[in-house]
Amino acid sequence: MNLRPGEIVLRDATRSFSVRADQARTLKGLFLGRRAHGPAPVPALRGVTLHIEPGETVGMVGRNGAGKTSTLRVLAGIVPLQSGEARCGGRIVSLLELGAGFSRDFSGRENILLQGALYGLNRVQIEERLDRIIAFSELGGFIEVPVKTYSSGMFVRLGFSIAAHLDADVLLIDEVLAVGDEAFQRKCLRRISEQIAAGTTVVFVSHDAGAIERVCERVVVLDGGRIVFDGPAAEGLLHYHQSMGTEHGGGQSLRPERDRSGPGRENSVAVTELELRDALGRSTSVFHSGMPMQLYAAVRAPEAVQQGWLTLELLDRSGSSVFRTRTAFEAGTDGIARLVLDIPDLALLGGDYDLALAASAVDEATPTDRTIRFTVAGRPGAEGIVDLRGSWRSLAPVTGPHADGLR
Amino acid sequence: MSRYRYLFVQLVRRELRRKYKGSTLGVLWYLINPLVLLGAYTLMFGHVYKFQSIPDFPIFLMIGLVVWTFFQQSLLSAAESLIDQGALVRKARFPREAIPGATVTVQLITFCALLTLLLPLTVAIRGTFGPALLLVPVLVALLYCFVLGCALTVAVLHAYFRDVVPILTALLLPWFFLTPIFFDPRTLGFVQSNPLVGTALQWINPVAPFIEALRAILFDGHAPDWGRLVYGFAAAGLAILLGTTIFRRMEGDLAVVV
Repeated sequence: MNLRPGEIVLRDATRSFSVRADQARTLKGLFLGRRAHGPAPVPALRGVTLHIEPGETVGMVGRNGAGKTSTLRVLAGIVPLQSGEARCGGRIVSLLELGAGFSRDFSGRENILLQGALYGLNRVQIEERLDRIIAFSELGGFIEVPVKTYSSGMFVRLGFSIAAHLDADVLLIDEVLAVGDEAFQRKCLRRISEQIAAGTTVVFVSHDAGAIERVCERVVVLDGGRIVFDGPAAEGLLHYHQSMGTEHGGGQSLRPERDRSGPGRENSVAVTELELRDALGRSTSVFHSGMPMQLYAAVRAPEAVQQGWLTLELLDRSGSSVFRTRTAFEAGTDGIARLVLDIPDLALLGGDYDLALAASAVDEATPTDRTIRFTVAGRPGAEGIVDLRGSWRSLAPVTGPHADGLR
Repeated sequence: MSRYRYLFVQLVRRELRRKYKGSTLGVLWYLINPLVLLGAYTLMFGHVYKFQSIPDFPIFLMIGLVVWTFFQQSLLSAAESLIDQGALVRKARFPREAIPGATVTVQLITFCALLTLLLPLTVAIRGTFGPALLLVPVLVALLYCFVLGCALTVAVLHAYFRDVVPILTALLLPWFFLTPIFFDPRTLGFVQSNPLVGTALQWINPVAPFIEALRAILFDGHAPDWGRLVYGFAAAGLAILLGTTIFRRMEGDLAVVV
């Protein structure tokens, strides 16, 4: 059976790699059977079954070592499977390693010719695309200079420009784009979108949930060489964040917490409990945009102090403050104040956030007591941090003899 | 396969320029090195250690030497080629034979250039102009196939087992001395008393018939005997068959091992 161009079939794909300090085997080792010793081969793919239709855009996420890159290398036909089946229809172009396949002593232009040839294009076909590739790469005069003088950003620009202009039926992109500057990354994502619109199948590996959400409609979550989720992007990212969250205890906050174990601390005001709950009052760390959120905090107050101040700060992934609020509290007879913050609909977009809480007896800035990390699954059609929820409408178009003058 | 023809052209051009890019004499080094070698061997075996009386010895020697240089350089550079070009192997799916194939082709270009320099010299000095010269391209083609087959084998083997190049280097030195490059196995004094050794020198070593066939045309001015031509065809066919079979069997994990 022949696959349509852009169709991808993986059936029970299994592959492991031997991990030896010296990768190269020696004949001596072969004759003495030394290969039997040493660490056991590490399974990279364990029975992965995947069917991707032409024109689909699939994001692949998972922890380091989950098998993402191995899957791409298998799909690209670079690494064979030990069992199972891997087939791709049409021309497969991959962008896996930064600057892979470039000859350092040759100019950018010469490297374009070679890379094109590597994918089976002939001279005429490559020269047709040459100008577009050079223009996209923004390398200008550097295109005539040996690539060994390039910065890593320039490598990515050239590599992506080539890969994106070879009229691939299947485009496989690994993490590499992360190296380019933000403007170029945006340009790349735009180009990928163009290719998607033109019917190219794209498989995209990234740790950047935002980029995946923007580009991909379907997400495959890999863990330990197996597919643990395969479905719509928002759900997939949620699943991924959840598994990451439970694995790392909610993730490490960027904000250092106050040391509460020191002498004399046991009598000070401090946040002792912090929990996020969903609409049904269940503890969770994953929310959807626009969903209700409830924050529960318990503050310990020594008897002498019956009241104090609680500060809450919301931080985005880069540690910038998004929102800050404070409230006074009064401790009950047991010396503990219990507080709830009700948020009717969460006006945040997709990403990871940290909530930092600090309690003090007096109204002044104090170090953070406790932080909690949570993940928001964004909604399609909006990017950023805050969800302003506007809706667009069109005004009646201006027509008539004065229309030109109004522009 | 044919759509990768341009890749092959690219690889050959790249290989030609890669080593000598940035050097003043550039590609000329490909010719200078063998010529220097020719001079040195002519001096040593033609004058210093002269143990056989062969007329026009430099010409006699050169014919053997260009063939040997082609054989040896091809094997040694092809053996390392897949590792040198690991970045390409890890990058995309393309017929990997193109890489050792390109290195052997580069050596073939050098070989042909040297042969073109040697040919008028030989014909003028030895007076060997005749229809037998038409067999030279045939022999070159057969030799190319033979060397290509061997090169594919050592290239893929070396990618998996890094002992192959040291073994090859060690093997090539005695092999060189056992090949009729600077001696004529028929008139060697030792061979006169041990005819079996003479037969072995001429037929066991697959490089020997090529040298002797070429020498028959260029040095003696007559077509090589049928035996050597048939031997050449068989060696070329067998080497290509073996080389491609081994290469196909083993190329799978190349991206993992190089």
